[in-house]
Amino acid sequence: MAHPEDSSHPRLAAGCRWGAENKPGSEERVVLFPEGAIKLQGTGRQVLERCDGQRTFAEIIAELQAQFGEADPAKIRADISQFLEQLRHKRIVDY
Amino acid sequence: MVLQQFMIPNPLALIAEITHRCPLHCVYCSNPLEMAAVSEELSTEEWADVFQQSGKLGMLHAHFTGGEPLARADLTELIASARAAGLYTNLITSGIGLSETRLQALVDVGLDHIQVSFQDSREDAANWIAGAKAHAHKIELSRLIRRHKIAFTVNLVVHRQNIDHLEEIIAFIEQLAPERIEIAHTQYYGWALKNRGALLPTRAQLERATEAVTAAEKRLAGRIRVDFVVPDYYARFPKACMGGWGRRLMLINPAGKVLPCHAAEVIPGLAFENVREKTIEYIWRDSASFQRFRGEEWMPEPCRSCDQRTQDFGGCRCQALLLAGDAAATDPACSLAPAHYIVEAALAEVNSNAAVSQPVPASSIVQLQKLAESLWSYRTNPE
Repeated sequence: MAHPEDSSHPRLAAGCRWGAENKPGSEERVVLFPEGAIKLQGTGRQVLERCDGQRTFAEIIAELQAQFGEADPAKIRADISQFLEQLRHKRIVDY
Repeated sequence: MVLQQFMIPNPLALIAEITHRCPLHCVYCSNPLEMAAVSEELSTEEWADVFQQSGKLGMLHAHFTGGEPLARADLTELIASARAAGLYTNLITSGIGLSETRLQALVDVGLDHIQVSFQDSREDAANWIAGAKAHAHKIELSRLIRRHKIAFTVNLVVHRQNIDHLEEIIAFIEQLAPERIEIAHTQYYGWALKNRGALLPTRAQLERATEAVTAAEKRLAGRIRVDFVVPDYYARFPKACMGGWGRRLMLINPAGKVLPCHAAEVIPGLAFENVREKTIEYIWRDSASFQRFRGEEWMPEPCRSCDQRTQDFGGCRCQALLLAGDAAATDPACSLAPAHYIVEAALAEVNSNAAVSQPVPASSIVQLQKLAESLWSYRTNPE
């Protein structure tokens, strides 16, 4: 299983978690994982904040497609799918 | 002063070497030959203060290492205080001393990641390298770890004695179901340097091992992440040791000395500050030891005019001292270094005598140490 499927439940992998919000109200948030951290803002942050193990991949896509109404829905899906796949390879996300 | 503070980035992570005591005696240990005494170790409260300072300085991770961190009876409290300071906590351990209840307690206070070292897939070889009966317990422990939702890394140090069956070892580790496998070539400091003659692999061994790792990376993609630490003796350019001196990482030894890297105490003429006397912010920004090799001012040629200097920062200062006798020299691992002939000589020697030894069966560590005397020295323990 390479890409997430509609029924997948993306979530942070074991031992990966959000860091504290050092600067409240900041655009930027950090996800901590073994040996590293990634800074997230904008769409990346919005995607990962929805990877809570509750929402399905289809629901996450639908929410973001609604939010970015004017963008091509197929492109949004492809971009998010690729983003999650990359994070899965780094063992930051599971689905 | 203000300008300098502005320009020095904060450290990203703290390496907390909380004790030099260890139940294992691994022949590749990178701990210093001169270890910090038990009586000098920082207290629970002193470490808690260090973690608070680290969090405020913007550090993200605390890596608990040693020695064996579990040798400290207050480890659970230490992990709790690092978490309370906002740090991501990583326990680097042999697993010896970790019971089911102690693991549960660590998870309860917020341990994020556990990294367990394995010496081999074969029990006799693993115990022979570690100088202790540890292998079976590590397997048992790995099963317990998988019941918890923390990140699990298996670390394997490779060298001449285990590299020929690396595929078998990777398959063994795969069954332990970690998120991550770290395959690290031995780094030649401390005990490993003392034992280098028995540990340095041949070029042919290295090439086969690199193929095995590449194949494993591909096969395990999406399931287990494989991180590979390359052997600098065979590389064209040196490793970016610690991501550059005083640039990303800070290490505090059991006695509270603050070092830019594990081995820095071997460098003569450098005085290292102690957290008992100075704040870590002062030590990071202003101490002479952290400034000594920070940036490019100190660099000799060929580093100074080399395009690689922003990638490898001139390599490792301790290795330059240990091999070339001058901490300010270009790392002899670099193919462009004036002292590279020293590394080449070590490689020529190992490639002309590529004998691999067999594990010695012994009933006790004392007997084992006697039997293995001609091959290597086992790591000892602090007073």
